[in-house]
Amino acid sequence: MLEVKNLTVRYGKKIAIKNATFNAHNKEIVGLIGADGAGKSSTLHAIAGVQRFEGEVVFNGYAYHSPAEAEPLKSQIALMPQGLGLVLYPDLSVKEHFEFFKRIRGVKDDPAYEERLLKMAGLYKFQDRLAKNLSGGMKQKLSLICTLLHRPKLLILDEPTTGVDPLSRRELWEILDETRHAQDIVILYSTAYMQEAQQMDKILLFDEGEIIAQGKAEELLKSAEPYTYEETSCDECFCFDKRCYSLKPLPVPHAKPTLEALFFINALKKGKKETRFQIKPKKVQTPPIIVEAKGLTKRFGDFVADDHIDLTLHAGEILGLLGANGAGKTTFIKMLLGLYPIDEGELWLLGKKIESYEDRIELKNYIGYMSQNFALYKDMTIKENMEYFGKLHELPSKTIAQKIEELSQGLGFAEYLDEFPTSLPMGINQRFSLATAILHEPVVLFLDEPTSGVDTIARAGFWKLLHELKRKWRISILITTHYMSEAEYCDRVVVLKEGKKIVDDTPQHLHELYPGLSFEEIFINFYKETK
Amino acid sequence: MRLGAIRAYMLKEFIDLKRSKMIYLVYLLPIMILILFGYGIRLEVTHARTIVIDQDNSKLSIDLAHAFMHSKYFDTKILPITPDEALASMKRAKTDIIIIIPPSFEKNLLKGLKSEIGVFIDASFPLRGRVMQGYVQGVLLNKASEYLPPQKIPLILINQRLLFNQAMRDENAIVPGLIALALLVAPAILAALLIVKEKEYGTIFNFYASPLSKAEFLIAKLTPPFVLHSVNIFIAFFIATYIFDVPFRGSFALFWVASELYVAVAVGIGLLVSIITRTQIAATVLAMLITIIPSFLYSGMLMPISAMEGGSYIEAHLFPVMYYSYILYDTFLIGQGLQSSTIILYLSILALYGTGLILIGSKLLKKELS
Repeated sequence: MLEVKNLTVRYGKKIAIKNATFNAHNKEIVGLIGADGAGKSSTLHAIAGVQRFEGEVVFNGYAYHSPAEAEPLKSQIALMPQGLGLVLYPDLSVKEHFEFFKRIRGVKDDPAYEERLLKMAGLYKFQDRLAKNLSGGMKQKLSLICTLLHRPKLLILDEPTTGVDPLSRRELWEILDETRHAQDIVILYSTAYMQEAQQMDKILLFDEGEIIAQGKAEELLKSAEPYTYEETSCDECFCFDKRCYSLKPLPVPHAKPTLEALFFINALKKGKKETRFQIKPKKVQTPPIIVEAKGLTKRFGDFVADDHIDLTLHAGEILGLLGANGAGKTTFIKMLLGLYPIDEGELWLLGKKIESYEDRIELKNYIGYMSQNFALYKDMTIKENMEYFGKLHELPSKTIAQKIEELSQGLGFAEYLDEFPTSLPMGINQRFSLATAILHEPVVLFLDEPTSGVDTIARAGFWKLLHELKRKWRISILITTHYMSEAEYCDRVVVLKEGKKIVDDTPQHLHELYPGLSFEEIFINFYKETK
Repeated sequence: MRLGAIRAYMLKEFIDLKRSKMIYLVYLLPIMILILFGYGIRLEVTHARTIVIDQDNSKLSIDLAHAFMHSKYFDTKILPITPDEALASMKRAKTDIIIIIPPSFEKNLLKGLKSEIGVFIDASFPLRGRVMQGYVQGVLLNKASEYLPPQKIPLILINQRLLFNQAMRDENAIVPGLIALALLVAPAILAALLIVKEKEYGTIFNFYASPLSKAEFLIAKLTPPFVLHSVNIFIAFFIATYIFDVPFRGSFALFWVASELYVAVAVGIGLLVSIITRTQIAATVLAMLITIIPSFLYSGMLMPISAMEGGSYIEAHLFPVMYYSYILYDTFLIGQGLQSSTIILYLSILALYGTGLILIGSKLLKKELS
């Protein structure tokens, strides 16, 4: 039994998590759900005894208040920190990792248990493979079984599945489930994927350094029901994904909420309002096909990052490029942009065949690009950043000033213009990065993982913004994401798996093929087929 | 202390060093420092291209000209050309020194009259120019003292004897200093990298979240750089004595013990660097910065510590380099060994430095996120 009482973690003046209080019982999987920076990792680090904190943690009757006091418990605790394969040594093989973790934890050899772990993780055949040559999913499974070697009583997993393909994710869950049935263990599990909440015994919802709600999934959903309505037009409410959330009664029937509802309701209770985007309509002339890629291939040595990918982006379409980390999404976008040379295949952009550097230069002003983790200069204010990007596109100063005014009002970040990106929430940075990418009014947008790690409300807002842009400007958008559920908001989706295309279809058609299934579940079928 | 855990951690470090090819750096860096700088730094001038214009052609003048011939410092030609032609050759950078012996040079001297010898030196590189000036003056005065009648001698007294480095070889003066540089820089960088690498990748969590104690972690982390670089002590000795022909007059045991202590000091510096840095690049730059500059300045390679004054004198005593290089120069060139109380003192200071740095480092090392 784990009891966490008034746990607070500070970094200097900044409070990462404030007064977190919760319990976790034996054989329970407790989920910590929330965006980046909501306080999940800090909470987990404090409980694992690797981060100083205020308050008290009691595990099986032993109370500790600092990493030093937690020291005697460390033989019972296991921590798997955030990030793909972070606890692994790239140059060590699977078997050597096992030896290493066994020895530093002083665990006796138990060949039967070790074999079972390796088989559960599907790594039995790959024991001599170096960690750096494992796929993202395999790395996470290896990290997990390495933490299980010493049969911990408290297992702390920090976003073990972020960026991992859905099939590996499911296998990871199977390992966890098996483990908790076989031994006494408390599992803390943080995630950015709401869909994983269904499998958890208890959920803690994190937002802006606080736990805003906790309980079983059904209880939480039930508590959100009175505020969830079918889609309608309303003030003082949030609407997203065919539902509206409002504290005041709305004259429409109630709808079935998802866990995301709780974040919207919390925002409403805090008096926040949905940002209404205003985008001036614009007439744009474009060819009917914006991007036409035929057999695009990129190799890094022996490794094929993209293997003969065909893809077509039509005018006024939002095309989602989905896949796990390392599936080849970013490489593909970089080939389209000319940031990587194309090893094989043909590419047409805006009806023009791309053969040389000169071909691209002419098109640069028609293309907007937003790179992974928002490439912003953190020592310049938002305004200075935007001015800089505007000048790069050789816009006159007057136009830039006018555009900054218009976009900062329209996209709702006017009040932050003189602030530095590092001091702002990710959601604001995300919007202003988009504003920067559309400053020169491109006809096509390439967005690389713009929604990764961003909180629910900002993500919802961002998708609305993209649809608004598409409607007003008839802009075409190619967007990558590792959230399979975001397929819902695209006009068409392409799924990449280890450099190969495994799905290219419309969401409607996929729903017709697999009625009643979520995209998560739909795509697992495709992953299995191509295994 | 669980030896099994320490051994497993160390084994991992060795495998990692080997597969990540960092092991090459361990041996390449000190060898490169010794070889490149050993051949590269030259304070003396040899084979200065010299033209002697002998306008006198007397016994004395010929003898004087020959004094420049039999020296490795000069490549001398006695040419029957005019001073202008010689000067033109110097302008084309074909000649370094021109010596003009005027007519009636011998006659004047014998009569007791003042006589002037013209010496022109290319001083485009001031240090080189000054060194050549010294050589020429030395040769001339030496000759002069042989020939002047005895009653004139009191005016010029040359009785020089070079001690410890009789051959005045640059190698002897520089290579021991370079050993002090190499054995400080390389272990410090490696020790810092082994720890910071885990911080940068995130594998440091394996230590934070495990029952591994700080002492166990430090032993596992600091032993590999210490052991691997101990081999470099022998490599450095070999390079100094065989490749650069530096004499070795002291006790090898003293040299070895002092070097091991010094490597421990370097590892301690690496540990401190790893505590205040987060990325491998920052650790490398910082480790280099705080080891290379003091090594160059305070090893006595370019300037003897005793000749320093004020701030630099104090600074020299603050850095461990000075103590080690004192022992180095003694074992290589002098050989007084443990009979000198200074050597015993300096040896203990090195031991104190080593344990002190590692103790401070282990106090500052936190088993938690900072």
